[in-house]
Amino acid sequence: MRTRVRAGDPSAFAELFDTYARAVYNHAFRLTADWSTAEDVMAATFMEAWRLRARVDPEGGSLRPWLLGIATNTARNQYRSNRRYRRAASAAAAAESAVPDHAEEVAARVDGGRRLAAALTALAALRRPEREVVALCLGEGLDYEAAAAALGVPVGTVASRLSRARRKLRALSAAQAAPGARPPRPAGAPAAASRKEVRGIREGARPARQTRGDHTHAIRPAQEGNR
Amino acid sequence: MNASTPRQSPAEGDQDAELLSRTARDLPTGRHQFHKEHLMARIQQLQTSQQEEHGGRPGGPARTRRLRLPRPAVTLPALAAGLAAAVVAGVVVNDGGGVADGGVATGPGLTTEIGAASSEGVPQLLDRISLAAAASGHPTVEPGQYVYVESRTADTFLRTVGGTTTLASHEPHRRQVWRSADGTKGRLVDPAVNDSAEGETLSLPDERGNTPVADLNSPSYDYLAGLTTDPDKLLATIYKETRGMGNTPDQQAFTTIGDLLGESYPPAELYSALFRTAAKIPGVVVVDDAVDAAGRHGVAVARLDEASGQREEWIFDRKTHVFLGERVVQVKRNTGTEALLKPGTVVFTSAVLKRAVVNGIKETPTASQEG
Repeated sequence: MRTRVRAGDPSAFAELFDTYARAVYNHAFRLTADWSTAEDVMAATFMEAWRLRARVDPEGGSLRPWLLGIATNTARNQYRSNRRYRRAASAAAAAESAVPDHAEEVAARVDGGRRLAAALTALAALRRPEREVVALCLGEGLDYEAAAAALGVPVGTVASRLSRARRKLRALSAAQAAPGARPPRPAGAPAAASRKEVRGIREGARPARQTRGDHTHAIRPAQEGNR
Repeated sequence: MNASTPRQSPAEGDQDAELLSRTARDLPTGRHQFHKEHLMARIQQLQTSQQEEHGGRPGGPARTRRLRLPRPAVTLPALAAGLAAAVVAGVVVNDGGGVADGGVATGPGLTTEIGAASSEGVPQLLDRISLAAAASGHPTVEPGQYVYVESRTADTFLRTVGGTTTLASHEPHRRQVWRSADGTKGRLVDPAVNDSAEGETLSLPDERGNTPVADLNSPSYDYLAGLTTDPDKLLATIYKETRGMGNTPDQQAFTTIGDLLGESYPPAELYSALFRTAAKIPGVVVVDDAVDAAGRHGVAVARLDEASGQREEWIFDRKTHVFLGERVVQVKRNTGTEALLKPGTVVFTSAVLKRAVVNGIKETPTASQEG
């Protein structure tokens, strides 16, 4: 397969597309929070794969990590700022968690929408590099080596980003599970009672946000405490 | 979906992968075929044009223009890929010792002479420091104004690349922080932390849209101004707010006060009270000689963290008892990977160079404003 891709065999790309279009599409959605943008990113990814075909290593396994890496770069260019991602995510989350009019609407579907909304809210709480690693490792099930190759970063970086992201996700789900804290609270709404609850729990996750430049965190959790 | 990543417990993987379970779905009906046909048509088109170029027959103007269309979408990812490659190359080149981030020179580690510690004279020294602090006359920060702190800082840390852990450090460099009185706006310029020389904004809300609420670990001026200046009450507050953090409650209380000394500009009454509070923490010692990040020698008030074998030292001018800076020194031998931090290693050091109240972010104080 790799040889045929390198040689620019169109039928190889047809096969690639049939096999991986869905994975690339889903990965792109996790990075853009928008199904229609995800479709664009998916299409651009395969075009880009064609252009970069000569760089494919002749040896190796599945080309899925390679395609997901290209998709990550393409999605990154769609959303240069995290702010834009968060806007898209909250819009999509709101749309998904809206309760349908029909009472006979199956409960499973409603539940699915809520869970998708929760996933987007969680992804939006991450920094972009963390979100990319989460999407690759948890969303698409790549191992650390494959994710590192896809992103062009060291394996250790993938591991540390993922563990930081996990901690944030934990804190978030703990905060959402806490009594009195309603998950889809609009930004800026006072909700003083639940704020207190959420903050209390967030305290535990605080080092995660402060890790950058904070090399003495073991005994100095407030070293970068200016953030 | 085959969401199984090695090196994680199944339960952990399930829990996080479960979160994303609803983010997978098929393309809308017909779109798979549509995009596939589009891709194949484009590939054929590109192949044809390449053959034409190689054959020395340039395509007509219309065709050339059509081929240019996808370029922007193609160039940007290529640029990003190039950048990523450059970053990887940088890390590899520096594998021998330093780190290439933010333009801070790096070295294998900072070391110092370990000063002799004594528990004698601690209350007396802290009392003198407290009196000097009370006389310092810190200015009031009005709403809309900013606290500016400029420091010289350096640190040593363990870095793991490709399974090998080595000692690395950021050499002394300038760090500047601005924070509004209410703590909601700020800016940090620290080449060891920031990617760009412009620094980064600390203005919030954070990723979750929450407006920051000041606490002991990220205090705003307004928060500090509202704290009690009674040492016993203040100490009780510190223990309460930092419960569960750090290695021991006493060490965490000491560190919390140290952080307030270093990068904030508390009102003089509180500033003075901080030292009287520190005098009540068990295990505080006096170190006869310590040098700050700017090379100034002084006497230090310190406390040893038994868990990490590191001693946090607050350095004061020997005569005026003015706070110069603080540092964390490895004084005991560690085991395991941590043993790379040998006794005498300066884990962190920061000298306060300027503190002032300014009217805008990025504004630096004039000589008369400095405190």
